[in-house]
Amino acid sequence: MTKEKSIKKRSIVLVHGIFTDAVLKGFKKGEQYFVLEGRPDLLASKTTIKALAKKKIVPTVIADNMAGFLFYKNLVKEVRLAYQYDDESGVLCDIGALILGVLGRTHQVPVNLYQGQLRRRFLAPQEDLLKFNGKAVAAPETRVYAPLVEWLANEYITKRY
Amino acid sequence: MEESPLFWPAYIKEKTLFVLDETLIPTKVKYIAVKNTKEAVSVIRQMKTRAFGQFLVVLNTFLIELSRNKGLAPLKVVKKMQETAKALNASRPTFPFADVTSIVVGWSQKALAEKVEMYSYLEKHIFGFLNGIRFRRLERVSKIAALIANGDSILTHCNVSGELAMAAAMCRKENKKVKFYATETRPYFQGAKLTAWELNAMGAQVTLVADNAVASLMQERLINRIIIGSDRFCANGDIANKIGSYQIAILAKEFGVPLCVLTQPSNTIKKGVDIPIELRDPKELLSFEGKKIHAGNVKGFYPGFDVVPHELITETIAVETGAR
Repeated sequence: MTKEKSIKKRSIVLVHGIFTDAVLKGFKKGEQYFVLEGRPDLLASKTTIKALAKKKIVPTVIADNMAGFLFYKNLVKEVRLAYQYDDESGVLCDIGALILGVLGRTHQVPVNLYQGQLRRRFLAPQEDLLKFNGKAVAAPETRVYAPLVEWLANEYITKRY
Repeated sequence: MEESPLFWPAYIKEKTLFVLDETLIPTKVKYIAVKNTKEAVSVIRQMKTRAFGQFLVVLNTFLIELSRNKGLAPLKVVKKMQETAKALNASRPTFPFADVTSIVVGWSQKALAEKVEMYSYLEKHIFGFLNGIRFRRLERVSKIAALIANGDSILTHCNVSGELAMAAAMCRKENKKVKFYATETRPYFQGAKLTAWELNAMGAQVTLVADNAVASLMQERLINRIIIGSDRFCANGDIANKIGSYQIAILAKEFGVPLCVLTQPSNTIKKGVDIPIELRDPKELLSFEGKKIHAGNVKGFYPGFDVVPHELITETIAVETGAR
């Protein structure tokens, strides 16, 4: 269990998105990586956790709604996001990147962008949000909106690698 | 006014308190029988009920203990009320249990000092208090409905114990066309299980989104208003609410979306940084219904609540509980 008091101020590298293997190889031991789940398919966290395990790095998982808490407590030193496409105005990232971009800018934490894997679709199937880990979490008739990507404008980005 | 089961999720019948098991919704609407303080603390700790449900459980637990302990001398009743308060206060850290329990203990002390009949005095005051809260919450439902304009598209987070769904039903009667977006609210899915379910049941148009889609909704101008509840209120106007509320508030400011918070004013805590935030067992985040989510070695971190500074809040709609 990670306890709040055991986390030093400005020590966490917050990680979100599906990075390329080459980028994941660059993650270093000794850093404190916090990985966002990446609903609805959890692909982002599963991919990152698997890659970090090969390097014997044990990350800490948080739900997608918990990043703000870490910023409020001044625990984040860097945001690391994967992008799939870019142009002169910004980048296309996994859904959730804009939350981290706005939080990073508000709290003056660098938001760094790294090459990510391309997603084949932009919307998740309804089932992915109606279920979690294979179990139903909402009534089957519930209307769902499940974007998988979103645009992050340059104003929220510190550096693109 | 048509009521959602979440509006008043606990009731007393023949010395037993029945508490709506919110973890079973939307699959089942089932009530848990609670017969003493220990069982009341257990339903709170296990999050079988939360938010306003906790408030109801607290007040009704005193009523159960009174009916279980008929015939006690007045001084012993005061001690029983103090013991009950102590156990309830220790159940979870963020909700202001002591603000509520201290009122009941105060009544018992007053009854002792004034030498009035203890049992009927306490029952009368607790029932009166509950009726007053019920009336003020119904009033607040009307205020929420009045705030909502025709054509609004509203984001909500977690669950506000029936009030938003009932306001949605009022809007529908007034022929206001309103859309709602509900965050799923990991890890307990209160948004998916409770909010989407009750809004739907009240005939509202509701769309479920992942917690990480809220910025996209604001950037794409798919919502024009946010309404959330609060578990704790500070003298300076800061609040604590379900984890995820802080980032929603920051985004609301960034994208110019008004944030309305339903509050229960209290000044026992001066400002948000002083609110004790509950850190829950990360197992609740790393597994779901007994099944691990991630393979391999991972840690988890699960803060249950966020603080939202008052400068990020556009408007509050309060229910006075008398707690200070």
